[in-house]
Order: sequence, then structure tokens, then C-alpha cells
Amino acid sequence: MEARLVRFGAAIAAATTLLAGSIGTALAQEKYPSRPVEFIVPWGPGGGADQLARLTGKLLEAELKTSFPVVNVPGATGGTGMAKLLAAPPDGYAMAVYIADSHALLAAPNARWSISDVVPVAVMIKAPSFLFVAKDSRFKTWADFEREAKANPGKLKVATLGFGSVDDFTLSYLEAKGIKVTQVPYAKPGERYVSVLGGHVDALYEQAGDVAQFLKSNQMRPIIVFGKERYPAFRDVPSSQELGYDIALPQFRSIVVRAGTPPERIKALSGALAKVAASGEYRSFLQEQFAHSDSFLDSSQGAAFVQAQLDDMKRAAPKR
Amino acid sequence: MIEILTQLGAGLANCFTPATFAMLAAGIVVGLLVGVLPGLTLVMGVILVLPFTYKMDVTASVVLLTAMYISGTYGGAFTSILFRIPGEPIHVPLLWDGYAMARRGQPAKALGWTLVAALGGGLLSAVIMVLLTQPMATFALRFSSPEYFAIVLFGLASVIALGRGSLANALISLFLGLMIGTVGVDAIYGSHRYTFGMPLLADGIEFLVVMVGAYGVGEVLLRLERGFASKPIGKVENARTELPSMKEIGALKGTFLRSTILGNIIGIVPGAGATIASFVCYGIESQYGRRKKEMGSGVPEGIVAPQAAATASVGGALVPLLALGIPGSGATAVILGAFMLHGVQPGPQVLLSSGPMVYTIFASVFLGILLMCLLGFFAIRPLVKILDFPEAVVSAFVMILCFVGALSIRNNVTDLWLMIGFGGVGYAFEKLKFPIAPLVLGAILGPLAEESFMNSMISFSNDWTVFFTRPISALVMMLTAIALVLPAINQMRARRGARA
Repeated sequence: MEARLVRFGAAIAAATTLLAGSIGTALAQEKYPSRPVEFIVPWGPGGGADQLARLTGKLLEAELKTSFPVVNVPGATGGTGMAKLLAAPPDGYAMAVYIADSHALLAAPNARWSISDVVPVAVMIKAPSFLFVAKDSRFKTWADFEREAKANPGKLKVATLGFGSVDDFTLSYLEAKGIKVTQVPYAKPGERYVSVLGGHVDALYEQAGDVAQFLKSNQMRPIIVFGKERYPAFRDVPSSQELGYDIALPQFRSIVVRAGTPPERIKALSGALAKVAASGEYRSFLQEQFAHSDSFLDSSQGAAFVQAQLDDMKRAAPKR
Repeated sequence: MIEILTQLGAGLANCFTPATFAMLAAGIVVGLLVGVLPGLTLVMGVILVLPFTYKMDVTASVVLLTAMYISGTYGGAFTSILFRIPGEPIHVPLLWDGYAMARRGQPAKALGWTLVAALGGGLLSAVIMVLLTQPMATFALRFSSPEYFAIVLFGLASVIALGRGSLANALISLFLGLMIGTVGVDAIYGSHRYTFGMPLLADGIEFLVVMVGAYGVGEVLLRLERGFASKPIGKVENARTELPSMKEIGALKGTFLRSTILGNIIGIVPGAGATIASFVCYGIESQYGRRKKEMGSGVPEGIVAPQAAATASVGGALVPLLALGIPGSGATAVILGAFMLHGVQPGPQVLLSSGPMVYTIFASVFLGILLMCLLGFFAIRPLVKILDFPEAVVSAFVMILCFVGALSIRNNVTDLWLMIGFGGVGYAFEKLKFPIAPLVLGAILGPLAEESFMNSMISFSNDWTVFFTRPISALVMMLTAIALVLPAINQMRARRGARA
């Protein structure tokens, strides 16, 4: 009995030394990734962030020869999933989809995380936002809409995701320019789309990929795209830039890891994601989502982009 | 008409291709299991299954998810009736009469009624779905926030009717539930309420935690107190599936029709689903039904109304999805996701251009309902046998299911502590003769009511009269007013009578 205990103790001691010795060198020498990387989606399954994760996860697996299991952690506009990411060690074995809607929370005081807590590995999708009206809406063009909004401030209703969101920022910017509409927040997409199709609101703020079913069946049509230029699929729809509105807060979906992750691991991920983004399968995905074909930004460009977006959001955010 | 029938026939033939039929059968079985597990709701069930459909073709994946949706509205009835633990929020109303009937020694009969209700409600609503797809979908577009609010308010008012015993206690329980619903970051303006600076509370308290805790854990605590020695339900061993006779069903045709049509309409309304349908129809039955006075004491009306409404809501919810591309409920939102993942965008165009697919889905609803009831028929007997097991053993399994369910909501261990806390609440309520249902109902419907009320106010520049000037919401508000005032008058009259 005693002998066994002694042997057991010795084994533990040996194991500890081995472990202690290996930890120091492991981080530097270990081939990365050598085990599955947890891919956190701070949103529910089936949505845009989830679709992105499942596609890139599959394509990344082919590149890096390890699996990227998707974990959906919805809640608090992405805050719950971010908390999960920030609780994991910064070793590159946990990454998360980080989108404009979560980023918008940082424009408000008391955000639960800060931009310095995460490092963007890559920006994967940039999709412009539009204002859509129902097919038979009395607003034929943006000019009609603008005229009525200026004549009757606050009379026109626009369905959005909610206050404090990117949608809110863009509409607040327009309000400062004299186009005052009433914003009606619908958190559930179904209710948001019914509101415009049923004529309960006058327009809908959304990305085209989310309402593709209504565009293809001609139930909705865009009247303005928010960005520097027109979107190829809707050549007749004016861009905000050409109308003199300097506001472009695209929906972006990026992939981030926790700050403090070794730079060579970020580089490995970013490089693999560049190959993913160049693949035919990914390019057709971008097209389906009505995203910009040059969406991809690598780690350093991505960091600059995310920071610039935050500055723009803070500038546009309403002072309530 | 003939054209529809031939298309449906072709769809039915498609359902019998091995791949599609396998998915249909799998969906029905998994949906039943999901329904039985308390805490694992059918919406979460379809979400969990969604990733498995990525590699299938679009018809098979939608058939699978739809089948789960259908049978998910049925499975929870078993646990409600046998253990007094609702497997789904839908089955909270069914519990009063279902469990009471089971305790009277007729568990098989109660399950038989559920089966007939699901069958009747489901099939009738499927017929409405096929024949009236287009007009019903257009009807759905007339609903906006004021109508959502009116419907949810009506659901809340049904509590008054449900409050057997003290009305005051029912109201206290309801308002406590509503208060639980306000915890967290508010959905409209993002202000923190009752969060005490704790990140967990900022995410809100999930109504499932309240439901699983108060019913599941609370019930086990009660049994523990009695030393797991409740009298076994009489003569369980020769319990057979007892389907109600045609005569009995005929006597309830009013209940069947009312609940099915109302459930169907509530299903069509985006923003309301099977749960609201079930509560509202139970409420209607206990207000206007022929045996309203006996509701809650184990009458079949109390089982038929919520079950028929819940299953009927499925046919309703599929209408705006297929005809317009609008998800009318949580589960249809996931089904929409499945369509989109395969590059199919449901809408008027699909209805015309992909007729075979749409009619295969329609046919699968009919077939699914039949299959589900067949399965239910054969499952009743072994399920009732569970009641023969020692109570302590069954309770242990119930506890495991509660924990698994609560954890699966959002993978948060703190939810488990909350659930245990609500188990204590449920136990205390039971001891102090406070009804649990209003608490759960308040936690479920409170946030919905708040959101639709706030949206109405924002949309109509704080004009509260919209609830009474828009025709649909005015009608529902009127019903709500009657539901609130009548019981109060009756009680007053009863009190005066007692004094005299």
C-alpha cells in the first residue's frame, strides 16, 4: 500500500516537472493550430453571422487541417459571446465572429468590453445598407422620400433593428441634415419585414442580403444605398455619397481573437482566411449576401478599419 | 380546387420517396422527444437540428424541420399530464385539466384526448393552410404592434379566468412574473433594470428557467416532502390508450372549431406562436365554453382547447413563411434559415415557380400529423407504465431532465442556480396556495407585451387610442375588457349572494 503511494507520488512529481518544462517551450514551438479552434458565434444559428462562421469554418478546416467547431452563444447584441471569448486564454484556440451591430455598443458609454480587448484577424464581409420600400409604395425614388420627410418632419416611419444600433446612427445623421423620420425598432426580423410589406412603416433600413427573398419576388425595392458608390446589382439606386451625405456604416462581419494572442498565430489565421476569401465558394457567398466583392481585409487593415468604423459611429451616434 | 388536389397528390407521392420519408419520420420522433424534455423547447430543437440539414437537399431539410415543429407541439403534453411538468411552455394550460384527469385515474383517457385534439386541430388547420394560403398571408400583413399587444394582453387576461381559488393570489403571481420579465437590459432603450450590476442578470431571466424551476423542481420538492409516497394512480397496469368515442368528440365540436380556427389565426400573426395560441384558447374556453365552471377540474375541454390550438398554429405559421417569406414564429424563422441556406427564398415567386416543393411540404404536414398521432397512440401505453415506477426514481430522472434543459438554454451554469431558486419559489407557491401558472405566463408574455406596447407608442407618437381605433386590435381589446370585468362581477355577485 505504502509502496504504491510512494510510486504514485513520484509519478506525480515527474509529471509536474515535465509539464512545467514543456509549458515554457510549448507556446513558442508548438505547431499552430494543433487542436480544434473554437469558433464562437455570438448570435443564433441560421443568421448572417452563423452562415459566415459555418462556411469559413469549413473552408478553414481544409486550409489549416484542424476543425473549427461553431458554438452559438447568443444574447446581449453579441455581448454574451464576447464575454465567452474574453474568458478563454489568449492562445488562438478561441475566435469569434464580431459584427457591426456589436461594435456599435462600443459607441455608447459603459460597454462591457473595449476595442483593445480584441484583435481583428480579418474582416470577412462588408455589405452596404439600404433603405427599402414596399413594391407599391408611393415613394418612387429617394427624392420623393426626402421631399416628404423634409416637409413633414417625424411623420415618416422607418423600421430598424433598435436604438443604439448602426441603423439608429445612420438615421440620426440624416436627422442632423434635416431629414427627420420616426424610427420604429423591431428586434425580430419577421416583424420588421411585415411592418414594411404591410404598410405599417414607410421604409426599412436593412442590408440587401437579409431581404433577398423580398427583392427576388419584387415585394420590396431599394431607394438609397449608404456608401461611397452605387451597388452593382442596383445601378439605378443613388448612393448617399452622391447625394451629399457622408455616411457609410456598412454591416461588417469580422473574425477576432483575444488581445494578447501571439502575433505569429494571428498571422497564420489571417493568412489562411485570405486564402478562404479568395476561393470561388466564398466569392459566390459574398455575391448572395449582396456584399462588396473586395470585402476581405487582413489583420492590420482590419484593425484600422474597425477603429475607423468606431470613430464614424461615435460621430454619428445621437446625443440622447 | 382540382388542381390543388392533384398537386397535393403529387406532393404526397414525393413524401414517400425514401429520403424524404426518412426525414419526415426522423423529424416526428425527434420533435416528440424535444417536446417531452422540459427546458428543451421545440424552437431550440429545430435550431439544434438545423446544422444537420446543410448537406441535405432543400425539400428534405424543410420537411425534417417542419415535422419537428408539428410533433414538438404535441410531445410536451405527455409530461404535463403524467407528471404535472410541462415539456413545453405550450403545455402549461393543458396541465390543469390534463393532470387532474390523470389523478382521477384516467391518464390514458387524458392522453387520448390530447391525441384527438392534435389530430383534429392539425388536420383542419392544414386544410385551411392549403386552400387559403394567399388570402391568409395577405391577412397576416394587417397585423402590427398594436394588434400584437392586444393579443398578448388578452393572453395575460386569461389568467384571471384561470385563477382557480383566490383572484388576488393569481394577480400577485402574475405581476411577480411580469416583474421577472422586466429584469435585464430593456429591449428598446437599453436601460438596465433590476440587474444590480451583475452581467448575468443583464441578459435577463429566461422564462424557461422560471418554468422548469417552478414546475419541474418545485414538483419534485413537493414529492420529496411527502417522502415520495403519493398514492399511485389507480389501476395503471390495465391502462390502455383510451380514445374518446365519436359521441364524446361530437359534444366538443364547438371547442374543437373555436380553438383550431383561433390557433390557426394566431399562428399566422407574426410575433405570436403556439404558446400564445394555447393560452388564449384555454382562456376563451374558460370564459365562453359550455363547461367554463368546471375548467381546471379535469374536463376534456381544458385539454382539447390548448392542444388543438397549439397544433393548429403550425399550419398558420407556415402560411406567411411560404407565401411571403415572413417567419410567423420562432420555429418558422429557423425553417426560413434552412430555405436560405439552400439558396431558396420563399415568397410569392416560390409558390408559383416551385410548386412541387411547396406541395411536398404541404403534403408532409398532413402525413406528419397522421404519423405523429399514430406514434402517440402506441406510445401512450408504455408511457403510462412509467407511473408504475417508484416515484423517487422517476423524480430523479425528472431532475436530470430539468438540469439538462436549463443548461441547454444558453450554456450558462448560473441559469441552473436560478432554476433551483425558482424551484423553491414553486414549492413555496404550492404550499401557500398561490397558482404557479400566472407567474410563468407573466414571465413569458411580459416582455412581448412590453415590446409591442413600446413599439406602438413610438410608431403612433404616444397616442394610446390606436389600440381602440384599429379594427382588429379594438376587437381583441374588447374581448380582453370582457375577460377582465366579467369574473370580477361574478365574484362580487357570488360574495353578495353568500352574505345574504
